Amino acid sequence: MLRKWRFLTGAIIVATVALMAAAAPLLAPYDPNKSSVLLLQPPSAQHWLGTDELGRDILSRLIYGARTSLVVGIGAALVAVLIGAPIGLAAGFFRGSIDFAIVPIIDLFVALPALILALIITVMVGPSYKNLILVLGFVMWPTMARLVRGQSLAIREATYIEAAVAAGGSSGWIIRRHVWPNIMRVVAAQFAIAVSLATITAASLSFLGLGIPPPTADWGGMVRSGFEFLALNPAMSLAPGAATALTVMGFYLGGSAVE
Amino acid sequence: MLTFVVRRLLLAIPTVIAVTALLFLSVTTLLGSPASMMLGENATPEAIAALNAQHGFDRPAYVQYFDWLGKALRGDFGRSYATQQPVASAIGPAMPITLELAFWSILVAGTLAVVLNSVPAGRSVLVPTVTGLNIIGVTVPNFMLGISLIFFFAVTLGWLPSTGWVPWSDGLGAHLKHLIMPVATLSAYYFSAFSMVFRAEQRDVYRRLYIQVARSKGLSEWNVAFKHAMPNAVLPVVTFMGLAMGQLTGGAVVTETVFSMPGVGRLFVASIAAHDFPVMLAISMIVVVAVVVMNVVTDVVYTLINPQIRFH
Repeated sequence: MLRKWRFLTGAIIVATVALMAAAAPLLAPYDPNKSSVLLLQPPSAQHWLGTDELGRDILSRLIYGARTSLVVGIGAALVAVLIGAPIGLAAGFFRGSIDFAIVPIIDLFVALPALILALIITVMVGPSYKNLILVLGFVMWPTMARLVRGQSLAIREATYIEAAVAAGGSSGWIIRRHVWPNIMRVVAAQFAIAVSLATITAASLSFLGLGIPPPTADWGGMVRSGFEFLALNPAMSLAPGAATALTVMGFYLGGSAVE
Repeated sequence: MLTFVVRRLLLAIPTVIAVTALLFLSVTTLLGSPASMMLGENATPEAIAALNAQHGFDRPAYVQYFDWLGKALRGDFGRSYATQQPVASAIGPAMPITLELAFWSILVAGTLAVVLNSVPAGRSVLVPTVTGLNIIGVTVPNFMLGISLIFFFAVTLGWLPSTGWVPWSDGLGAHLKHLIMPVATLSAYYFSAFSMVFRAEQRDVYRRLYIQVARSKGLSEWNVAFKHAMPNAVLPVVTFMGLAMGQLTGGAVVTETVFSMPGVGRLFVASIAAHDFPVMLAISMIVVVAVVVMNVVTDVVYTLINPQIRFH
């Protein structure tokens, strides 16, 4: 029952953020990148959350920021699955030398602080939309690989795999037909958790000044610039911060309920 | 025992070398020549070449790496490109600040996770509170938590100083006041992580016979929870605390930035913004070594506490 509520809450939050991202042009009262002479206005009837240091409407930027957050979070999690799942499958299913070579790499990556790693790689390749997705995916693939490896290690011992081998099935066929379908549910759950992790890390990078380059509306960057004016207009940093937290929570609740 | 420790440490050396070499080589190839960075955009090619030769930047990358590693092992990390100061003298004063922050955060998170999750279920409002805290810990980004705390306790209520750092020597009260919010921020995530580990173990422990025996003796649920279940479920949390300590030395970047604490994390962010490669590399190496060493220490402690695990 609790599990069901978790999933439902997560799904509703994610759906709301997705709707906000999809309908951004309809929902946003102003152009998110259009500056005006009304700098640093407090919340008012015209600007519900006020305006930022360039006179841009914060609410509109908040709504458009959902796009950035979702694209980066989902994109990075996809990259992590695309790299991590095949490697984990290979290590878990074939074991032997492949496993022996991969496990230390996975262990090391998992132990290193993800944010530090992401910071170092981002400064080397340069911050951009595409790079951010690739860097975060690259930082997160080992977690995915470890999970998939563990699952396929367990499944390959099952009797139906033995039967499939005895029936003369090739490894590729067995993986496609028997192993992958059995671990897909866990991978899907981990995918949602990876989205939440990527969203946090991306926002943290932006907050530290190494995320999505301006003027793209991006929650982490908005928190960074609003932090300076915390006493003047708290909504400037707290609203995008809360939006990030909610999005992360949505994916996390959804993922952990299924897992 | 000693052979086990030595073997584990020896096995960790190739890892440290591999990671730092990879870092060194990728940074030197991708960030461009250090000389051109030091001299700025208007430098002539001759001046760059001269400086490269002077500092040995024109040698093959692997020679430079082993040269750097040799010096680093003796505590010489070179000079910062940005300030021209020795890197060690920049990291030296920052290190204790980060270590203290990490130490308190881990301690607070670990203690709270164990104690709050041990309170017998069903009799208190604590259960939903702890569940809520757990979810907040993993989902609210550090910067958001830190800024919210600053907004409530410093800007609105004026109870605590918003940012900065005061050393012990300038008064214990002021020192601790500046630590409260950073520690609360940093410990939130670890509270959740430790809670999950503790709860999983606790669930196992509660199925054991000695818990049934304790209950049938007529002991109170509190007694069972704290005297019988907690000591048996705390082990994985202790080992996890060790691992977290290694990660935290590097993971304090956001918290230190939010609270303007002059620790290693903020130094790292500054070095990245300035492309200050020697500082960046030195801190990265410290983080890698901390993670690897804490992994070994944790393994050793674990085997010491739990004799069921043999030394392989």
